[in-house]
Amino acid sequence: MTEEPYRWLEAIGNRREYIRDQIKGGTPVFAVSRPEGILLLGVGQGQSKIFEIYDRHGFAALGHPVDIEKIRQAAIEAAHMEGFNRSSKDVTLRRLISFALSTTLKNGFEQIFSPPIMVESIFAELGDTAGEDVLVRVHYDGNHRYENDGIVIAFWDSRREEEAVNWVRKATKAKDSLAQVASVCLTAWQTLVDNKGFAEVSPPDEPLLKIEGKSVEAALLDRKLTGSVHYRSLDLNRLKS
Amino acid sequence: MNGDFLALLPKAPLAQVSASAPPIVEGTTVFAFHCREGAVIAGDHRATAGNTIFSDKTEKILELDSHSLMAIAGVPATAFEMARTLQTTFEFYRRSQLQPMSLLAKIRALSQLLRNNIPATLQGFGVVAPIFAGIELSDPKATPCIYFYDPLGAQFEAATYAGSGSGSGSIKSVLHYLEKWGDPPPAEMSATEAITLAIRLLMTAAEFDSATGGVNPERDMFATIKLLTRDGIRTVDVKEQERCWKEKAR
Repeated sequence: MTEEPYRWLEAIGNRREYIRDQIKGGTPVFAVSRPEGILLLGVGQGQSKIFEIYDRHGFAALGHPVDIEKIRQAAIEAAHMEGFNRSSKDVTLRRLISFALSTTLKNGFEQIFSPPIMVESIFAELGDTAGEDVLVRVHYDGNHRYENDGIVIAFWDSRREEEAVNWVRKATKAKDSLAQVASVCLTAWQTLVDNKGFAEVSPPDEPLLKIEGKSVEAALLDRKLTGSVHYRSLDLNRLKS
Repeated sequence: MNGDFLALLPKAPLAQVSASAPPIVEGTTVFAFHCREGAVIAGDHRATAGNTIFSDKTEKILELDSHSLMAIAGVPATAFEMARTLQTTFEFYRRSQLQPMSLLAKIRALSQLLRNNIPATLQGFGVVAPIFAGIELSDPKATPCIYFYDPLGAQFEAATYAGSGSGSGSIKSVLHYLEKWGDPPPAEMSATEAITLAIRLLMTAAEFDSATGGVNPERDMFATIKLLTRDGIRTVDVKEQERCWKEKAR
């Protein structure tokens, strides 16, 4: 029956609805480009949401843990093969996403008789300066967009995601420390999870660096690190505000 | 999804050698010894093919990851490729498995590459006899370990020191003497004393081996010296070597 075009469209529509419904419980992840590097942040309960992909590349995602793992492994394999066969400079997000990941995601999404890949994600690539950083928001169907203003949030509700990005943009200043930026992200995280409006929220006076009963996971693609590996995990409690 | 990077690579056919094969580039002095702070790994800069000096700026001490090093002796083409493969293998494992590869696995990974290289070794144009230094990060009390290999892949742990390459014979004698009767022996030397000793050893090796060179403080040519500790790898830069040479090594 799915050979008939309108059946196929209906099946795709149902699949989209199913995926959105399944991801609904997921909590947002953040990537913010700063002078120190790119801050990646997520909050979980045991499951990791922030990952290192390659020397200058990070990944943050929400969705089904098995699917996150699939995308993570695919990205790591593609990046390392490219880095080995050519050089680490040739590993770029533009090539990684255009030629390796988005096609895999799109094919996975459109194969209506196979289980869907349920992942909303962010990929980050560290540049020499904040202006050269590349942040990409990648959706479960392979659709993706490059963000130019240095702030990306992945959440299952696109309208709320956009509100959060606008709020974080207004709430962060050029001179803010990493702790202050992390605090703003966690405030936005709490607001999204509590399903509150951003109009009445303002950045906390005292930095918010933990969420009760949850584990906050943060990493920095550090511009100052001199070796080939720029990714390092961050302990927010040890950050100076 | 087992973190094995080599499984991703296509299988390359065995290399064949012919009568018109290019000259083999080899001849080296690399060595490693324990000191109080950790382990010193050092090497000269000369690459030769027969009587010809190919280069006096060859880097033979290669960092594989944040806590492991390989000192290469033998044919650079094969040795560099082994180091590059190991660099990617270790990082690929750490990132994909979300934990660093154990020291024993790293040691075996190099052994496996040497075993895979046996056809080239037996044909005489791909001989590599490296030294490996690393530290087991999962053990908070672990100290750096030094291993040396034969070209067929057998690995041996060096209790005190290891040397490889055409110039290593003379310096192994010196290191043996110092271990037995030195005051202090290398294992009890401070980092500064160990750096000074490394420069002296390379000067000694160059005196007896024409394939060792590229280290001549009189002409501002210094060795590659790296110090492996629990904190990671520190490259002893030219300024520090120059200071040691001027203050002590003369």
